[in-house]
Amino acid sequence: MNKNVKITDVSTVEGQLISIEAEDLPPQRLDLEFMPWKPITEEQKKSVAYILDEVSVLNIPVPQNKEEEEELVNKFLSGMRKLFTTENNFTCLPMLETSMDNCVQCNSCSSACHLYEMSGEHEMYRPNYRSEIFRRIYKQYVKKEPFAKWRYGDMGLNWKTVARLGELSYRCNLCRRCAQTCPIGVDNGLIAREIRKIFSQEMGIAPKELHEKGTVLQDMVGSSTGMTEQVVKDNVEFIDEDYSEITGVEIHTPFDVQGADILLIHNAGEVIAWPENIAAFSLIFQEAGLSWTLSSKCAGYDGVNYGVFYDDAQLARIALLHMQAAKELGVKKIVIGECGHAHKAMTVIADRVIPYELQVPRESCYVTLRDIVMSGRLKLDPSRNNFPVTLHDPCNIVRLMGIVQPQREILHKIAPQFREMPCHGVDNYCCGGGSGFAIMSRNNIEEWRGNISGRKKMWQIGEAFKECLGPETKKYICAPCSNCKGQIREMLAHSNLYEKNSFAYGGLVELIVNCMENVNPGYIKWGEEE
Amino acid sequence: MTTLFYLLGYLAVAAFVVLSCIKISGYLQASPLHVRWELYPVPHEGKKAAYGGSFMENTEWWKQGRHVEHLCDILGIFKEVLLLEATFKHNNKLWFRTYPFHFGMYMLMGGTIILTITVLCGMLGASEIWTGMNMGGVVAFIHNVINAIVMIGAFGILGGGIALICRRRSDQGLKNYTTAEHYLNIGVFVLFAFFTLVAWAVNPDYAVLAGTFIHNLLTGNFEAIESVSFVISMLCGFFVLLWIPLSNMQHLLFKYFMYHDIRWGDTPTAQSPKNQAIIPELLKKQVTWAAPHIAGDGTPKSWLDIATSKSTTQK
Repeated sequence: MNKNVKITDVSTVEGQLISIEAEDLPPQRLDLEFMPWKPITEEQKKSVAYILDEVSVLNIPVPQNKEEEEELVNKFLSGMRKLFTTENNFTCLPMLETSMDNCVQCNSCSSACHLYEMSGEHEMYRPNYRSEIFRRIYKQYVKKEPFAKWRYGDMGLNWKTVARLGELSYRCNLCRRCAQTCPIGVDNGLIAREIRKIFSQEMGIAPKELHEKGTVLQDMVGSSTGMTEQVVKDNVEFIDEDYSEITGVEIHTPFDVQGADILLIHNAGEVIAWPENIAAFSLIFQEAGLSWTLSSKCAGYDGVNYGVFYDDAQLARIALLHMQAAKELGVKKIVIGECGHAHKAMTVIADRVIPYELQVPRESCYVTLRDIVMSGRLKLDPSRNNFPVTLHDPCNIVRLMGIVQPQREILHKIAPQFREMPCHGVDNYCCGGGSGFAIMSRNNIEEWRGNISGRKKMWQIGEAFKECLGPETKKYICAPCSNCKGQIREMLAHSNLYEKNSFAYGGLVELIVNCMENVNPGYIKWGEEE
Repeated sequence: MTTLFYLLGYLAVAAFVVLSCIKISGYLQASPLHVRWELYPVPHEGKKAAYGGSFMENTEWWKQGRHVEHLCDILGIFKEVLLLEATFKHNNKLWFRTYPFHFGMYMLMGGTIILTITVLCGMLGASEIWTGMNMGGVVAFIHNVINAIVMIGAFGILGGGIALICRRRSDQGLKNYTTAEHYLNIGVFVLFAFFTLVAWAVNPDYAVLAGTFIHNLLTGNFEAIESVSFVISMLCGFFVLLWIPLSNMQHLLFKYFMYHDIRWGDTPTAQSPKNQAIIPELLKKQVTWAAPHIAGDGTPKSWLDIATSKSTTQK
């Protein structure tokens, strides 16, 4: 396992730096199966830098000669210099500089990190491990402070350091739980994202799921799913037809209604993977009598903004498209569907990136849904939801936006057996798919999510249902965020937890529709019913 | 030598003030307006802060006036600074070592302020107060308090400092991240506290000794200080003062900004005409990022040019 890896090892050790095996991982209440790492072939090792662990997120090519090694290092340094200029980084420079200069290396952040804990407290997963490498490079090679080696510790800078640091920036879910515990206010999550920015914005290296198939596709076609305007309209029409039949209520999802009060922006992944979520929203908004619409304009039908995970330029481009879609329709507000990072990107981050004149007010769907449910506009029968329910708090909406109570008010009203997970609300843990991982499954990333990043959430779920585990009692994991659902779905599927524990997962809206009196019973399906 | 000693005192104070101003000014100039990067709970949310809630839980929050509980922010930062609450909650073992250390510093800082005020009062009204020649009533009480504060504070720094060094030596996790500078930072404080304790023990009245020194500094009276231990402790103190803004101990200055401006900086643009005016100016800044989707072709571009262009057209 090489548990005692040192900071300087990233620049000196040849080959793969660490490996984590099943016996290293802490035990779980749920019967989670270890996902063996897929072997990396010699051919792969020659072409891609698998030199950190078994995973490769960035697919950094192995330099073939000294010149290529130097080029990689010089590009990185060039990017690092730009990162510390106001012109290139007005968005984050104050946070970055203070995190560089004020850390006292007390390691208070370590115990807050689910990756550190669930890797068996592996040294490499301390939130400060990558930050400290980055900090030493900055002090020694960019700022060139006198006595930097003595003051901050030496750090060799070569292609291995750069490649490993790039990968290390993708061994973090950017949940910022560590930042919440820092006595000083240092933010290791921010540092991880800033490193990602150097790789993307300067070196042109980013995970293809986030860049080519993510923001670029969304910018060009309208959605990271690849769905065009016509395809999304057709798909939603099919969903309306199917779910009208299932629910017994005629559903009509409006598109491009000029002057509607609300533009609802879903994560377009829901259209493909969880049509029941799209249908549930349409049904609730329709039955509540809201004036609302979806948009078919470029990016207006897909709230995702993967730029928030790795690249400020892409973040700004997508955020602008969202605002333009809303402006064109003349809506009074955007309501963001069940997608955590869309919430943060559109509401919080875009707030100081997009000129105010181009902005349209944004509201969380949790708030809109709370108002609908509490107003009595829907006839609800909570007894239809009389099974154990627990709630996952998406980091982006809860810890990073402070939207905590609306979803709980709904659950207290409609789910008689609602119970909290341990460490809930702003103290929650990431689902394990945060910061883009939920949509990545190549190069042992899926195994990494299953073995390390997703395990703490499974611990929370196991604890929440500890008195009713087993197949006898049906249980519902309410995860009102698209990426979180994707991650939880895979964790449950891999260890066959659907069958072992009668779990179902889904969003908040499905649970609301499940107890609407005018809807056919059984909107939520458990394994054998699907 | 005596003159040099006093000059070093002036230099340390001046360096602390100047370097602190430079550092803070650098922070303020780094960005006229950074993105919102708040982290909940945010104390100025008032009642919502108890569970970490925010104004964004309210329906159409942008139509409601912005309400900020400034007092809660102040209480929040005081609680954190005075009790080291986050360390207590998240790194309990360290707290039992670092709290006496910090508490000792607060005591000595508080004692210095009280003593300086006493000396200033003496200079303005009762000229003999600082010499201790006319001690009685309030002044005697103050001097006794100072003597108690110095003893408790120096013990706190000494004990806490040694415990912190031991922890950094024994805990493998901490050891990996500890450099020579960590030992220097804590070590100087330990030395400072040790010689302060010696001076306190061997001199009849530490408050009078320190008061005399402060008076001499304020009046430019470079009178020799007889106590060697006091002089050594002061030299350590001068170094600490100079070193704080240059090391990670600058968190003394930056904690305010890292909490108030970053972690709790949630002002929405809709409710800030000032920020509304800044954003368009920021978007005019020229970008030189070299990736193909930004400014890889070498043509000068602003953030606005980039945001309004398509990703794949940037070749």
